[in-house]
Amino acid sequence: MEENVWALEEGEVRRPGIVHIVMLALFTGIGIVVGTFGSLAIPIGFVSAFWPGQAIQAVGSIWYGMWGGIAAFVFPLISNAMSGSAPLPVSLAYIPANFVQGMAAGWSFRQFKCHPALKTGKDWLVFTLIGILAANAFGAAWGTTVLRLFGLITPDAHSVAWAGWFLGNSVASWVLGALLLKFISPLVIRTKAFCKGYWA
Amino acid sequence: MAQTTQPVRKMRRTLLGTIPVTSPLYQLHPATRFISLLFLGVVSMFIDLPEINIALLILILVYMRWARVDISGLRIYLPLMFTVAIFMFTVSIAFPGDDPTFHAFEFLGITLYLEPLYWTFASYWRLMAMLFGTIQYFSTNRERDTLVAVRALKVPFVVTYFLSLALRAAGMFMEDMRTIREAERARGLDESSMSLSDRAKLYAMYMIPLFTLAIRRADEISNALYARGYRPSGKVEGGGKRTDYILTKYKIRTLDIVLIVTQVIIFTVVGVLRIGFGVFAVTQSPLRQYLLTLMSG
Amino acid sequence: MLAVSARDLGWKYSGRNNFAIEHVDLDIEENTFVSIVGPNESGKTTLVSCIKGLIPSSFHGVWRGEVEVFGEDVRTKSPGELAKEIGFVFSDPEAQFTAMTVEEELVFGLENIGLPLAEIEGRLRWVSEVAMIEDLLDKPPYEISGGQKQRVAIASVLAMKPRIFILDEPTSMLDPLGKDFIFQILTNLKQEQDLTLIVVEHNIEQVAPLSDLMVLVYNRGIAKAAPPAEFFEDIEFLEAHGIQTPQATAFANLLKQQGLLQGSLPIHFDDAVAAAEDVLASAPD
Repeated sequence: MEENVWALEEGEVRRPGIVHIVMLALFTGIGIVVGTFGSLAIPIGFVSAFWPGQAIQAVGSIWYGMWGGIAAFVFPLISNAMSGSAPLPVSLAYIPANFVQGMAAGWSFRQFKCHPALKTGKDWLVFTLIGILAANAFGAAWGTTVLRLFGLITPDAHSVAWAGWFLGNSVASWVLGALLLKFISPLVIRTKAFCKGYWA
Repeated sequence: MAQTTQPVRKMRRTLLGTIPVTSPLYQLHPATRFISLLFLGVVSMFIDLPEINIALLILILVYMRWARVDISGLRIYLPLMFTVAIFMFTVSIAFPGDDPTFHAFEFLGITLYLEPLYWTFASYWRLMAMLFGTIQYFSTNRERDTLVAVRALKVPFVVTYFLSLALRAAGMFMEDMRTIREAERARGLDESSMSLSDRAKLYAMYMIPLFTLAIRRADEISNALYARGYRPSGKVEGGGKRTDYILTKYKIRTLDIVLIVTQVIIFTVVGVLRIGFGVFAVTQSPLRQYLLTLMSG
Repeated sequence: MLAVSARDLGWKYSGRNNFAIEHVDLDIEENTFVSIVGPNESGKTTLVSCIKGLIPSSFHGVWRGEVEVFGEDVRTKSPGELAKEIGFVFSDPEAQFTAMTVEEELVFGLENIGLPLAEIEGRLRWVSEVAMIEDLLDKPPYEISGGQKQRVAIASVLAMKPRIFILDEPTSMLDPLGKDFIFQILTNLKQEQDLTLIVVEHNIEQVAPLSDLMVLVYNRGIAKAAPPAEFFEDIEFLEAHGIQTPQATAFANLLKQQGLLQGSLPIHFDDAVAAAEDVLASAPD
């Protein structure tokens, strides 16, 4: 019988607490570091950026539910500014995309009862199809539309920009995300901060 | 032979570098400097004219020089500036659009169009001005300055404390990353000679210890916060507001008020002129007019 | 008055098979210095976490028995009351820093309990002096040395003027110089402040001379609790329970075994020297 890590044990009560706020802050801090260093170390440009930050967004929401979702849209505001990948107004406009890029994985894992440590084929499929491909397809669509609205890319370049963004993000986040989920999930699941629901 | 000694300049670490303790920037309240982030990082959104954005960029560099920040540290953004330029102009050349009114010209056997190229040129400098408007803030301010600023601007305590912890965590993890990278270099690792894919794999390796550290710290920090009576709401048990001691160490002076009001006014005026009256549009660029005249002539 | 009273105290962490501590009875008088010693994984940190109220509020598990602090059950106290009455310093100072500068770190707890500004300023000045960190106030906590970090951690908790001050292995991550600094601070606190100090330590050599009561935690329970002179009477018992006695005491024990020394064993180095001199003086030529 499949292990359902999301189900509450009999008599178990989970409540949001200080540890969740702390984890939210620490995860945001990691996202800032990953996002900043990733962009600066591999300077391809702001549209087709090789951005490992999406892995942090997906993994954060799988482990910490909505707290991960909040971190998903907060840390890019700071990391984009520090790395120069996007100016502040553009980063603010990216918020819905960043939130979805994180929560797609978090929602799908809870909805389909997938194990965070990617134990079965179903877990890998959901992670890949929804957590990575669908999330980045949406993110790239929203992001490139924002860039077009801000006049930073031409309408003719929209589809090229989308493709570059989608592919560049998906590859990076699939590799890094899978590594993190596979090796660190067993540790995270045992902690107080791990969220079986969306807030606790 | 007598040795001459250089006076030691005491430096403060900022989010992106260091700044002298005696920097004239510290005469300004952190809230004033934070408003400069919002102003310089956003105002170019309304300005398409590259002449103005280039001038703004120069102004930002002068401002940083005045603040005695080592602007040679901005070198790390040069690769980004080049790659963004290459990407933007390549896309503009490959996909110029098909407006028959565009002015075409030949360059190295390639047909180029002035209007889309100039639009890209203008967009590039608009982007650079906004980016450096943001970078100047993080190069000249510490995490504490940002916190004091948002607290002075009456942002709720739960948000400011979260921000404080997040920035502190980022600082901690950057130190950890630096330590790991230095340890690797000390053992002969040369990142600059590595391929892109090898550098990517290296990053993945760094992430694992960073995450395990964060997970361990979360429990410990939350216990420490509990032990010192922390309440996310910012209210004191039994009623009343949490004291804000650090804020009392900073005074808003007349100069701060003048600078804040000036920035707000300029921002508002620029926005209204652009949105309401089309001022600062790229078609009004004198350089563009000059180039069009050249081509027509 | 009893500062701490534990009766049949037990705690089992969620997901574990065995209790971390069980059947613990302990009384601690007010304004005494209590050292809690014992091998690793014996339950020392669990015990002091129960006294502080961290357990059960911050952990999942099974609680048994009771702990009273100044006559009140610790589980009925609010987090604010616990923060004001019982200070807690962790072994890893890095883990308890949440602020950007040392100064902010010191005032953080005071802001949380809503003290007025003048009071905060006064306590800041006082505690910086006590912990000898006046020149570190503007520095980020992560840029100072390990010993300095621990002094800042102690100062930040001391600033709240708790009635009970718990330190969980405060010197475990420090170099010898850093350890000496911490013990100097503990000595000063014992001499100058009205505080109940509870220190979990492995460094018996330095903590024993300061202690009014020593508690040996072994195998999830209390194996022995006595004033130092009585605590070190049976050295073989202590060594069998993983405790290394102070060298001065061990030397005096050798003299006692030879019949050259009578009475209780000295704990302080100076007392051991004096005892040895007495033995030499009474030795035949």
